[in-house]
Amino acid sequence: MRLLAPTVLLALFAAAVPVTVVSVTPVLAHGPTPQKVDQSVTIAAKPEAVWKVVGTFAAIDTWHPDVAKSEAVDGNAAGGRRKVTLKNGGTLDEGLDEMNDKTFTYSYRLSDADLKALPVSSYSATVTVTPDGAGSKVEWLGRFYRGDTGNEPPEELSDAAGKAAMNAYFANGLKGLKAKVEGGKAK
Amino acid sequence: MIRGLARLALAALLAGAGAGPVVANTVYVVSQEGGSLTSVAPPGAAIAVGKGPAQVAAGPDGRLYLTHSDTHAVSVVDGRTGAVLARFPFAGQPFGVAVAPDGRSLFVGDWAGGRVVRLSTATGAVEGHVGVGRDPAALALDGRGRLYVADRESRQVSVVDTATMTRISTVPVGEGPFALALNPAQDLLYVACVRSGDLHAIDTATLKPAGRAILGGMPYGVAVSGDGARILVTNQQGGTLVVLDAALKPVATIPVGRYPEGVAVAGDRAYVANWFSDSVSVIDLTTLAETARLPVGEGPRGLAVLMREAP
Repeated sequence: MRLLAPTVLLALFAAAVPVTVVSVTPVLAHGPTPQKVDQSVTIAAKPEAVWKVVGTFAAIDTWHPDVAKSEAVDGNAAGGRRKVTLKNGGTLDEGLDEMNDKTFTYSYRLSDADLKALPVSSYSATVTVTPDGAGSKVEWLGRFYRGDTGNEPPEELSDAAGKAAMNAYFANGLKGLKAKVEGGKAK
Repeated sequence: MIRGLARLALAALLAGAGAGPVVANTVYVVSQEGGSLTSVAPPGAAIAVGKGPAQVAAGPDGRLYLTHSDTHAVSVVDGRTGAVLARFPFAGQPFGVAVAPDGRSLFVGDWAGGRVVRLSTATGAVEGHVGVGRDPAALALDGRGRLYVADRESRQVSVVDTATMTRISTVPVGEGPFALALNPAQDLLYVACVRSGDLHAIDTATLKPAGRAILGGMPYGVAVSGDGARILVTNQQGGTLVVLDAALKPVATIPVGRYPEGVAVAGDRAYVANWFSDSVSVIDLTTLAETARLPVGEGPRGLAVLMREAP
């Protein structure tokens, strides 16, 4: 601040009032502050066995406890999609960007935000299965933007709200995946 | 050669234009979550610069300008000492940033406001503004004072004459244009589109499309090598740096850290900000291999190349 004399500051504030109307950013837009979500779980099964369950993109409804149903649109490769309906009634339309059956990893992203499903405007995420001792480690990580990407988001659409919801969704999913693979039972 | 080096700086993602004689570069990265600025070439310690710096540009006088999107501010840092010299309030959501070649003016994109604002680098006073498309992301300024703006939610690049602060054209591109880079000759502008997963080339003389490469994934950063022969694009989804030739044919795909974003070129090295991994990958442009991965503050995004004047 030492370059700014008080009089300059006053003039600056006066001059900084924009002539154009600063509109509220629509919630569908990506904001300028991405946030991390990072969850992982170890599973007492070989990566091949874990991949058999988690590697079919649209089959998330067989292991994620928060998911009511999931419909496949196109195949299990880049360009494929899934329409996920959550138990809270919200929907997630997600598309695959990368699918690698050899290294057991895929990346996908959200198409259109549904704040009822998750209080975020957009995200991309990656699922990776790697060997961990005699079993496996599953990492589910992503990058998301809060539900309201404007400068003054309400609490329920803030970075903190997005972080809490995304971490809970990923953690619940991995818990369900572990139970499904280890116990052989659905959800 | 000296002129070539100055042009090289212009090609670096979001880096301000260099001017005058130069002998060495310093490469900086800003970490948004970490609230820090780190020199990665030569490697240095992280400097605390305040909350949430998203992008950075270098001026010709050794100063760096950082946009703090969520705290309505642009900070000014002395690149040589790391001292924060000033913090300009900004009426909006500052993101993309570029510095005039003479170092006297600063151009800042207002993400939520859909405009670009010109500020005095001495006082931070607003000198003018111009409306662009929705959610302006990267800014790139050429030697003629023409500013290119990636209008992320408008699927276009806005072209602004900075002398008059008027928009002279818009060029349609793919979906979600985010990053921009001029080639050293400044006759081509490369546009990385995160949602359509492609790279567009624009002829800056005619402002017409000059090529397109379909890459897939999410291309979040672009830079051009000093000779203009290599175009470097980060693929956030793949965790890779994709290298194309000038005809936009793929040459190599180099694994880097997770969620790579900004990329900048200085000499025979490229630097990639690995947003998720909190590191910067150093790429040898001759061997097209990663030679080092340097830890930096959390959430690195934008990079800038500071030109050093000859003694």
